[in-house]
Order: sequence, then structure tokens, then C-alpha cells
Amino acid sequence: MSTAAVSHGGGIADHIHPEPQGFIRRYVFSIDHKIIGIQYLITGFVFLVLAGLLAEVIRTQLLHANGGFVSADTYNEVYSVHGSAMVWLVIIPLITGGFGNVIMPLQIGARDVAFPWLNMLSFWIFPVAGLMLFSSFLMGAPVAGWTEYPPMSLQAGAGTSMWAAAIFLVGVSSTLTGINFVVTMFQMRAPGMTFTRMPLFCWAQLATAPLLMIATTALAAALAALFMERQFGVPFYDPTKGGSPIMWQHMFWFYSHPAVYIMILPAFGMISEIIPTFARKPIFGYKMIAFSSMAIALAGFMVWAHHMFTSGLAPYLQLPFMILTFTIAIPTGVKIFSWVATLWGGKIHFTTSMMFAVGFLALFTLGGITGIFLAAVPFDLHVHGTYFVVAHFHYVLVGGSLMGIFAGMYFYFPKMSGRLMSEKIGKWHFWLFFIGFNGTFLPQHWLGMLGMPRRVPTYDPQFTFWNQFSSISSYVMTFAILLFFINILVSLRNGKKAGPNPWGARTLEWQIPSPPHYYNFKHIPTVYGLPYDFSQPLPYKGLEEELTDTPVAVGAH
Amino acid sequence: MVENRASAVRLGRGFWSVTLLFAVLSVLAIVFWYWTPIGIVMPVVAAQPGIQIDDLFRFMAASGSALYIFVVGYIIYFAVAFRARKGEPYDSIGVQVHDNHKLEFWWTLIPTLFVVLLSILSVRIWYGIQIAQPANGLVVEGLGHQWYYTFRYPGINGEVTGEMHLPLGQPVVLNVTSSDVIHSFWVPDIRLKADMVPGLVNTIRFTPTRLGKYPIICTEFCGTRHGWMNATIPGANGQPNPGAQFVVIDTPANFQKWYHAWQIKNAHASNALPTASTGTVSLAGGDANAGKALFAQKCSACHAIGPFSQRIVGPGLKGVLHDPSHPNLVDGDPATPADVAKILQQGYKGDIGMMPNATANGLSNKDIANLVAYLKTLK
Ligand code: HEC
Ligand code: HEM
Ligand SMILES: [Cu+2]
Ligand SMILES: [Cu+2]
Repeated sequence: MSTAAVSHGGGIADHIHPEPQGFIRRYVFSIDHKIIGIQYLITGFVFLVLAGLLAEVIRTQLLHANGGFVSADTYNEVYSVHGSAMVWLVIIPLITGGFGNVIMPLQIGARDVAFPWLNMLSFWIFPVAGLMLFSSFLMGAPVAGWTEYPPMSLQAGAGTSMWAAAIFLVGVSSTLTGINFVVTMFQMRAPGMTFTRMPLFCWAQLATAPLLMIATTALAAALAALFMERQFGVPFYDPTKGGSPIMWQHMFWFYSHPAVYIMILPAFGMISEIIPTFARKPIFGYKMIAFSSMAIALAGFMVWAHHMFTSGLAPYLQLPFMILTFTIAIPTGVKIFSWVATLWGGKIHFTTSMMFAVGFLALFTLGGITGIFLAAVPFDLHVHGTYFVVAHFHYVLVGGSLMGIFAGMYFYFPKMSGRLMSEKIGKWHFWLFFIGFNGTFLPQHWLGMLGMPRRVPTYDPQFTFWNQFSSISSYVMTFAILLFFINILVSLRNGKKAGPNPWGARTLEWQIPSPPHYYNFKHIPTVYGLPYDFSQPLPYKGLEEELTDTPVAVGAH
Repeated sequence: MVENRASAVRLGRGFWSVTLLFAVLSVLAIVFWYWTPIGIVMPVVAAQPGIQIDDLFRFMAASGSALYIFVVGYIIYFAVAFRARKGEPYDSIGVQVHDNHKLEFWWTLIPTLFVVLLSILSVRIWYGIQIAQPANGLVVEGLGHQWYYTFRYPGINGEVTGEMHLPLGQPVVLNVTSSDVIHSFWVPDIRLKADMVPGLVNTIRFTPTRLGKYPIICTEFCGTRHGWMNATIPGANGQPNPGAQFVVIDTPANFQKWYHAWQIKNAHASNALPTASTGTVSLAGGDANAGKALFAQKCSACHAIGPFSQRIVGPGLKGVLHDPSHPNLVDGDPATPADVAKILQQGYKGDIGMMPNATANGLSNKDIANLVAYLKTLK
């Protein structure tokens, strides 16, 4: 077995530091990737509650054709902060900083990320930025949606500058996380953990990290320009002063299309771990899944203008963007088919985590299909800017990313806390969420095609039935999320003890105690193969002492 | 290394029967999308490229449904057929296949071919929409404002407000732009939209094919009244929504009538883009009743007749000339008839928002006098 080719960071990975003492150093300003990951998860879920309440304000307004729950201006602020928070304060931090931090170093057999102090900085920027974003309500929150197209965003109240500053900061946080993860995965894999043996969740994070690093810089530049124009009158976007509003759109989408992959690839990664574990069989097409993540990430940089087919793209430019977007469906399809094929011939255990993973397949596929619809220029000219688009991206973001997050929580919660989540509450959570979700967003497809524009506090009275249907379903969905939080709280206190490996999973993180020790591994293990061969003995050496009481030599090499 | 035992294992009970079932369901879905009247998911088609867009939709909906039926069908079937039975030990494992190159080849090739086919279809329709439109079209300009549209026609001075008329059967080239923020011009029945971006002209081309009156809808967020820049929205209290504007497709004869009426009406209008006029307005002979009607039409979208604090977009205007606790107007001038007239004439952008000027509101000097006379009556 050739293990010499793999570096494992020399002294860093082997050296065990003493665990810091004191509450503040351990749980607040921690440099432990697991604690930082959990801090991301907690903060992200708090913002999920806030942004979710805003969503219910939106749906309550839309119970009646003429609105009446809040004023038009308030409504605009509400959906703008809702969208911005869901993207930048909920999904991205949960799925990269949260799960990435908790799981990735464990899966590659490392003691921490490459730059633990930088990791702490990344995290602490995030709640500050989040509070800034929500504080914009105090000064007139942004109104032009999460996309904040100028010149509208130049006219709106002072909160828009606060928004720009807040998003800039979460961008900095994301970029630092991206750098940290790339270096960690390149430098700190355990001996024998070649790239072709790396678990698929790590592959997904490896595909995501460059997106965080490269795309986010474009957003940062765009936001800085917006801020300067608003505060100091530097004319970047205002056409009456020689600026270009379209430039913002290009820069925004050059970030935001890759950002949709930032939000989905790590979910793909978790699904690729969960499905084989509960189907008790190897992931189908390991190489194709890993490769397609990279292909999607790369191609994701070349399709941004599919958001701008109506904004004034030269007609001939629409063609390459349309065709390249269609092309992304191929690697995405390959992934979906591989997951479905993994189910075939399995011994499938329908735990809550597995139910969310399978639900993910059904919902994400639908969102992917409507994505193809939208990429077709002629059809997009009809439905751009309507509820059809709203339906599409909720299928991929909620049906995809958020379902992936739930699946991941039920799966990894035992690793993080040492206790299992309640399966009984979990099943209720799943079914109510699944039904509520479809009820909320399925009708929005035809509402959009029939003529309902997005970002409106009022609508054609003939659409009342389906809007009420959608709103009432959204209450069911919200209730399901409430059950999820109840489940976490109840299980933290009373959950069944999980033991190191409640699911019989085979990646490294499951071979050590739950929760893992501060230093993760007593000895860095050596890896001899892929983690997905259920018929084989585990492909690791050097784990013998992990589950025993042998003391670990702190400070030793 | 690859342990390819797929062929050695039975596909599972009923695999081919459910596959047949999915095939039948897919055919039904395809038939559904090709035979169903498009009206259940989209408005009627009123212009030429609309039919092709609907055809593309039918193709995508049919093939998308078929694909979805297979994916979800197999998920459900596998979930049932391969579920762990009660009492089965957790360490019993599934079939240990890692991959199957033949299968992977096909499920990469088929989507690739599908993407090629979809690209060919889409490019052809795209070509019909963007490139191959007849050259001899009627060129109309559409201008977006907060929160209404105006239009310019060759041979009509100044701007046409309210409805946009088009003759049946004649190709139209619609060039759109904006005077303030980004708006969008969408007529669902025509299936096309173009964003109205300040400083940029976007073009859509189509040929009206069906007589009728079709709502125009703004789909790009443009401020407080964005939601009402939509002709399907009724106004408050049974009034028409002041933002409702329609495309009216006329017979050529009716179109000519409408066109001449505007030529006469706008005979002396200026072709300059709207700017604030200057010079003082004479308030003599203002008619409060005419002012009241005008107010309902032009101001009530933004102003309530209530106390200053009661906002729609602008402040409530009750007692604007009488309330001793508000001696000054929002622009700092004293609340006198002359200064109110000045605000109406020149507009004012302050902390509350944008009060449009007289040109944007479509007010003549006489209208201003009438409105001031009316505002005086609000005590
Ligand atoms: C597009 C919305 C809009 C329309 C239409 C509009 N206004 Fe205004 N109006 C405003 C806003 C906003 C202000 C406050 C400007 C500020 O201070 O920021 C205002 C201010 C005013 C004021 C000053 C109020 C005060 O107490 O100082 C008067 C008077 C007024 N408008 C009259 C009218 C009349 C008459 C019309 C109809 C021709 C009209 N407005 C149409 C938005 C509008
Ligand atoms: C097969 C995959 C996908 C394709 C082909 C696709 C295609 C598109 C297209 C063409 C649009 C623009 C529609 C318009 O504005 O007219 C769009 C919008 C959007 N998509 Fe996707 N998409 C895909 C997957 C995803 C994923 C995975 C996510 C996120 C997890 C996502 C999130 C979004 C969002 C947020 C928008 C709306 C942006 C806005 O206007 O606010 N999409 N998609
Ligand atoms: Cu995109
Ligand atoms: Cu608008």
C-alpha cells in the first residue's frame, strides 16, 4: 500500500495540544472546528427562525388579493430581508461553515482545519453581519429583494447601505472559510487518504470551496461599489451619471449563480453519505459523483447570464448561456441517477434522515427540471420575474438544500451531541414538512405562468384560491420546522445515547466516540480504501485505541 | 477492483412491470401536455411567437414529466421493494455493486442527446423571436416610470398615456426604456417581456394575432407601487386601479381612429422627454369639483384624505392648507396655495419619497389650479 505519496501536514496533524480550559475559551472563542461548526449551526438556525417568521408575514399578506396585513413598503422590506437572510445567514453558513466544519476534518482524519484561528474569525464575523442585516429594519430596510438591482437600490432607505455592508462581511467570512477548507483538504488528509478515497461529502466541500473563494470576491466588489455610490455618490451604477445598472447584474449573478451551487453541492455531499449508509450498500458511481461535483462547480461559473435574458443581453449572447445551462443538467442528472441506483438492491432503513434524503431526491429533481425550463430563452421571456421562478428556486433551495440540511442534522446530531434525535417527532417533522412544502410551492408554478409577478403585496383576485392554498400550506411547513427545533431540544436532554456509530456508517468520523474528543483522533489513522464497501472490513489502521480508555499523550509527537 | 455483480443479481420482483407502468404513465403525461388546452396553465395567446413558446413549453413539460415519472417512480419502487424487513438484522447488507459502466454510459448519453434536441428546438424558436421578425414593423417606444407606462408612436407628438393600441396583424417593434428605475414590460398573453432599463433600449418584436384588451404587468421591482403596475389589480373601494394599463389589439380601422385621435390631442405636445416646467402657475378660477375628480384619478394612489401621518406613498393631505400643527410643507416652504402649486408643478423628493412633477403626473396648469382649489376645501 503506497501511503508515502500523501502528506499529512507534518507536525501539525500529529501534535496534540492541551484542551483549553474555561467556558469562554472552550465554547465561545473556541478554535476547535467541531465547536465552531456547532456555533455556525446554532446561529444559522436562529436566523432560520427569524427569516422564517418573515416568510410567514409574506404568506399572511398574500392570504388576500388586496393584502392588508402590512403596508406595501413594509412588505417589500420583509421579503428583501427574508431572501437575503435565507441565502446568506441560513443556507450558506449552515451548509459550509456548519456541516463543513463539524464533519470534513473528521472525515479526512485531521485534528482540526488548517487555520483554526482564522476559522474562529470566519465564524465571529457571521453573527455580527447577521445582526447588521436585521438592524437595517431600524433605518428602512432594503426593498429591492435579495438581488438589490440599482437604480432602485440607490433610491431606497439607509438600510440598503447597511445591507451591503452586512453581505460584504458574510462574504469575507465565506471567503476565509473557503481558503481554510481548501488548504485543509490538500494538506491534512490522513496517510493513505488519497483524493480517490476521500468521502463524497469532502469532495462536495472541495468543489464548493473554490466557489466561496472566487465567486464571493466578485460580489464583494459589486457591494463595495454599491456602498460607495450610495454613501459618497461615486457613480458606478446610476445611468444619469454615466454608470451602468447592468454592470451590477453581471457582477451579482457572476457570484449568485455559483452561490446556488455553494448552497446545493454540500447537500449533495451529505446525501451521498446518507443514502449508502441506510441502503447498506456502496454508493453507486463514486467517481462519477465526485467528478460531476467538480464539473458542476466549473460550469457554474459560465452560466450566470441566464438570469439576465430579459435585462438587455445582446440576443446572440443569450445562446451560449442557454446551451451551457442546459448542459449542467447532464452531470446533475448523473448524480440523481446514481443516488436512485444506490437505492436499488439495498436493505433500506427508513430512518428520519433517510426519509429526508429520499425526499430531497424527489424535490430537488423537480427543481432541476424547472431550471431547464427557465434556461430556455423563449420560455424564460414569459416567466422571468414571476412566481414560476419563485417556485423553481424554492424547490432547489428548500426542497434541496434545506431538506439536505435536515437529513444531515438527523444523521450527524448523534455525532455532535452523543444522543439520537427522536425518530417519532422526526417522522412527523418529515411528513408535515414534505406535504406543507409541496402545498406551498407547487401551485406557484402555475400562478407564475398564468400571470402573477413576484415581489408584489397584492395580486389578481382570480388567483386567490391558490394563494390561500399556498399560505395555509406554509403554516403547516412552519409548524413542521417548529417540531424540528422541539426535537433538537428534547433530544439534547432526553435522547437515547447514540454510541460511536449508531448508523453503522463507515467513514472515519463514526469510528471515534460521539462527541469526539477535543483532538479527534488519538492516533492519526492510515487509510487503505474507499469507505463504502459494506461487505469488507473497515479500510483503516491505527484506530484500535480510539474507543478505549487509553490516555492520550498531550503535547507528544 | 470493480466488483460488478449487477447481472448476477435479480433486478427485483416486479421491476419490468413497474417499468412498463412508468412508461404508460409517461405516455399519458405526454399526451396530456400535448392535448390539453394551454389555457389551463397560461393565458390566451394574442401574438405570433406565443404559439411557438407554448410549443416549447409543451415539449419541455412532456419530456420533463416523463423523466420525473421515471425518477420518482423508481425511487418509490426501490423504497418499497428494497426496504429492510422487520426483524432483519442491521448488519445484513445490500447488493454490493459499485457501478455499471453500461448503465452509466446510457444515462449520460440519453440526457446529452436530449440536451442537444432541446437546444436545437430552443434555438430555432429563439431565432424566430429575436432575429427573424419582419423588418417593416410599426416601431413603438415604451417608457417605464414610477409607476406607469407611456408610449411614443411615429407621427404622434409627445407621449401617449393609458392604453397602448396596436393593429391586428401588423408586426410591432417595441423599444423600451425607463425614465427612473428598472421596470419591466410584460404582457402574459403575448408571452414576451423586456426589462425597461434606464440608459438602455431593449427590444421585443411580435405580431398581434387576436383582438382584445390585455393587461400589462411590471415584473421588475420598482418601488412602493410596483405591485399596482399591473392591470389585473383592482383599485381600492371598487375604483379602477390607477396603475392599470392595457395593450389593446384593434382592427386596423379602429387602430387608425385611435391613432388620429391622439395625433389631434397631442398636436401641440412637446417631444422632449418629461421635465419639470417652470414659471408660476396662476391659481385664479380653480374649480374644486374638477380638482376632486382629478385627485381621485391622479393622486389617490399615493395620498389619502386623512391626517398627515396616514401614508400611502405620500402623506395624508387632509388640512394641508389649514393644519396649524403643520405650518410648513415637506419641502420646508410655508403651506400656502402658491407653495402647494409649486410642489405640484416641480415635484419634490424628500425623506418620505418621491412626489412626481406635473409632467410626470400629466397635469396642466389649469389642473394644478383645480387641484389646489380642491385641497383648500379639505379641512
Ligand atoms: C407617486 C406617488 C405620488 C403621487 C401620484 C402624488 N404624490 Fe404628492 N407626494 C408624494 C410624496 C412621496 C410626497 C412627500 C415627499 C417627501 O417629502 O418626501 C408628496 C407630497 C405632496 C404634498 C406636500 C404635502 C405636505 O404636507 O407637505 C402635496 C400637497 C402633494 N403631494 C399633492 C399631490 C397631489 C395633488 C397629487 C395629484 C396630482 C399628488 N400629490 C400625487 C407622492 C405622490
Ligand atoms: C439543473 C439545475 C438548475 C438550472 C438549470 C437552473 C436554472 C435557473 C435559471 C435559468 C434561473 C433564472 C430564472 C429567471 O430569473 O428567469 C434560475 C433562477 C434561480 N435558481 Fe436555478 N437552476 C438550477 C438549479 C438551482 C439550484 C441548485 C439552486 C439553489 C440551490 C438554484 C437557485 C436559483 C435561484 C435562487 C434563482 C432565482 C434568482 C432570483 O431571481 O432571485 N437553482 N435557475
Ligand atoms: Cu443561475
Ligand atoms: Cu415594477
